[in-house]
Amino acid sequence: MMPPRRPYMNPYLAGMGLGLVLLAAFVIMGRGLGASGAFSSTMSWLVNAIAPGHAQANEYFQGYLGDGSTHPLKAWLVFEVIGVATGALLSGLLAGRVHITVEKGPRASTAARLLCAFAGGMLMAFGAHLARGCTSGQALTGGALLNVGSWAFMIMVFVGGYAAAWFMRWQWR
Amino acid sequence: MRWPALTLNQKLAAVALVLGAGALFSQPHRGPVVKLDTRELAMIVEKEVDHVTPAELAAWIVEGRTDYRLLDLRSESEFAAYHVPTAENVPVSALPDFPLLPKEKVVLYSEGGIHAAQAWFLLRAQGHAAVYTVLGGLDGWKDEVLFPVMPAGASPQELARFERTAAVARFFGGTPRTASDAAAAPDGGPQMPALATPATPELPRLAPPVPGRASPVSAPTKKKKEGC
Amino acid sequence: MMTPLYKYGFFGDEMSLLVAFALGIGFGFFLERAGFGSARKLAAQFYLYDMSVFKVMFTAIVTAMLGVTYLGWIGWLDLGQVYLVPTFLRPQILGGLVLGVGFVIGGYCPGTSVASLATGRIDGLVYALGIFAGTFAYAEVYPAIKDFVNSDSMGQVTLPEVLDIPWGLVVFAVVIIAVAGFWGATAVERWIGGKS
Repeated sequence: MMPPRRPYMNPYLAGMGLGLVLLAAFVIMGRGLGASGAFSSTMSWLVNAIAPGHAQANEYFQGYLGDGSTHPLKAWLVFEVIGVATGALLSGLLAGRVHITVEKGPRASTAARLLCAFAGGMLMAFGAHLARGCTSGQALTGGALLNVGSWAFMIMVFVGGYAAAWFMRWQWR
Repeated sequence: MRWPALTLNQKLAAVALVLGAGALFSQPHRGPVVKLDTRELAMIVEKEVDHVTPAELAAWIVEGRTDYRLLDLRSESEFAAYHVPTAENVPVSALPDFPLLPKEKVVLYSEGGIHAAQAWFLLRAQGHAAVYTVLGGLDGWKDEVLFPVMPAGASPQELARFERTAAVARFFGGTPRTASDAAAAPDGGPQMPALATPATPELPRLAPPVPGRASPVSAPTKKKKEGC
Repeated sequence: MMTPLYKYGFFGDEMSLLVAFALGIGFGFFLERAGFGSARKLAAQFYLYDMSVFKVMFTAIVTAMLGVTYLGWIGWLDLGQVYLVPTFLRPQILGGLVLGVGFVIGGYCPGTSVASLATGRIDGLVYALGIFAGTFAYAEVYPAIKDFVNSDSMGQVTLPEVLDIPWGLVVFAVVIIAVAGFWGATAVERWIGGKS
């Protein structure tokens, strides 16, 4: 039997909570939050473990491997992302919102949804690496610091999202 | 509109607007404006703990120490003509924007030392705690490290000590001189600042011959980047 | 000014990893609290019937922005030591566009996908795998697109610097726009909700 789901938190309060965590990052570390960089570090490590020659010859991966003095997974963002998973799980457990499921709209099949999830992830990876960050690293962090590139990025995310929404409504509505 | 009657969201909005209005008067330190404790700085200057002699710097480079950053404050062309190995070129005007962590140890030099002293002040004012200037600047480096002069009539111990200095000089591509080599001005004081004195040897090229042991003058290790 | 603590030498690299983990817990906690572990809730933003993404994101931005402004003002935070991601204008504009499209197709962004898979969503997990695949593909094509990726470099610049407007004024403007946006977003939600 599924435990009852609790309603979500007031978005403004959740936003304040997020904002305070971000502020703490600024004050303690002198940097903001992020996510996509952890995927880059992890991928670089993985490729290097499987095919070191290829990884080290590739300029993008090599950047995340450095000269070998530090393990690529010993990166700030990797630890932060592990924390994200932990914190999300904690919140989910407290609210009874942890179950194995597939999020999708009523009209879409599971297979189509998962295919789109994978494709969306791939596209998003391109976008994030082009932009040097994702919604957490660029929009949130850079937004709060009034970073020019971050605000430009953030606006375009909404533009892209709304533009694509019409074509994807079968998946969500 | 009474405060208790507003919804939570409306109260939050009101607080945000008030804080936003207050921010209109703010001047957060994001730029180059600083506050100074002049007494503290004057004390440090008097105690002279902010210097590093060229010989000490030479020893650090030979030892291969990487716990500090060496900054050359001269122009790009001067830097290209010659610079102390392991130095990074940061013209004084670029210094305020140069990325340095406040806790990093920084050693500064310029041609003679005036710009280095002024840059020392700039960095200390910005909150850097470990900033040092090379005593005598590049001129001191030339005199003490590259072209050390063996004093005439030196005792055996002094000669032995000078051998070490001479070895360091050769390591950096310089040449040790004897007292008779050095073209002394008649009053025995500092050499005439001429453009091409025969007595002033050619500045060595930038890549000194590698001595027997591994050269510590290697490129700084490339740390991995981490992204966002 | 003794903060950021890390930049002023209060602790080292090893400790900073623990700090990262702790901050991540806070991050993930509030993401899930807001419901962002669910792709349906996230995608709803782009169908105008649930504007939580906009509300949460901009509230977070305003909160942190006011925080750094006031802390910097009273001298408790050395804002100059807080890292700004360098601006590469056109790549970041294109990147945002592509990310927005990927957001609606996939239903997540990197951070929320982690929150989602941590709470059991299979689509979140598949999305994260997609990110790995996309990262690999990006690395493979990177040498060919390198010049574009590094174009339009403006360095580390803020809106006040580029627009030549005082920091405080930009902050005030952002707060006004955000609050107006929240009011408008709620109105849109009610309108769309009323229609369906």
